Amino acid sequence: MSLAASSRSVRAVYLLTVAGTVLWLAAVFLAPWLAARGAPGAARFIYAVFSSVCHQIPDRCFVFQGHPLAVCGRCLGIYAGFAAGLVLYPLVRGFSRPALPPARIFLLLTLPMAVDAAVGILGVWVSPIGFRFATGLAWGTLLPFYLVTGISDLLSTRNKRAAARVLEKTTPKKVE
Amino acid sequence: MNAQKPEYLRPALIVGAVAGLLSGLPFFGLFNCICCLWIVGGAAMAAKLLSSKTPGILKPSDGAIVGALTGIVAALVSTVLTAALKPDVETARRVLDWLSSLGIEQPSNIDSLLERGSSFLSPGWLLLGLFVSAAVYALMGVLGGIIGVSLFARKAAPPAPPTASGPSDAA
Repeated sequence: MSLAASSRSVRAVYLLTVAGTVLWLAAVFLAPWLAARGAPGAARFIYAVFSSVCHQIPDRCFVFQGHPLAVCGRCLGIYAGFAAGLVLYPLVRGFSRPALPPARIFLLLTLPMAVDAAVGILGVWVSPIGFRFATGLAWGTLLPFYLVTGISDLLSTRNKRAAARVLEKTTPKKVE
Repeated sequence: MNAQKPEYLRPALIVGAVAGLLSGLPFFGLFNCICCLWIVGGAAMAAKLLSSKTPGILKPSDGAIVGALTGIVAALVSTVLTAALKPDVETARRVLDWLSSLGIEQPSNIDSLLERGSSFLSPGWLLLGLFVSAAVYALMGVLGGIIGVSLFARKAAPPAPPTASGPSDAA
């Protein structure tokens, strides 16, 4: 799929995504750190924020400073994978030719996590936390290739539309 | 670029409502633990629906828009459902007291659990939860919408239907 996104908008989206990912990952560790430092109110707020995306079952979370992280092992794997994908992005894709990953790569990296999670929820098998982290990591690595590409395409499309509108306004109309 | 803007709202409303319903229901909501399955999957389905209703080729930006809208709708529905299904803490406490009078032992942290559960369902927390989940679900929806475009969208525009005057129109 060819995209109209310019190298400049891809770079801008990439840098914003990197900043957002660093903050998000830091917040995951900040919650237990605050709890350990005797700031339960602030810690509780961060745990509450992450509760909308994760079950936060303590047995399934890695522990930091004696308290569970704000998300489970699988979610941490996804976020860590996302960060790893961002590191790989310029090497694999570059900023000048954004394109979405092929469907077979998506299926290949999604399948382990999907199967692991499904059998877990159905009570067939309870996987160890390290395995959850690993399957989440594999899936998360793929996600920046979608997000950065899609958002930069959105920005680029908007810029082009805005430029076209300006051009339309400034071009004198033909008088019949 | 598509000559006409796709109709984003309809697929977002339909799929977002279903995704929000599934996210807010007990047990089914558990599947959101797989990286917001209902939201990411729902946004991908919204992109599929959008693709089937749009004559041109969808771009990743179209997926991002429909996905974000789907996520916001899902967050609204899910929060309303959570508020509607909120457990009655007082009744739960009475049942526990009754069980206790029968000699059935209660977990030591039951009071703090009940208190925590009721405080998370207060109007303030629900409103905060709505804002947080709308932001997070919108982001996850963007991701799902873009994935949906890559998986389901047409790779080439369908051939134009033949006209009465023949194919020489474009010439």
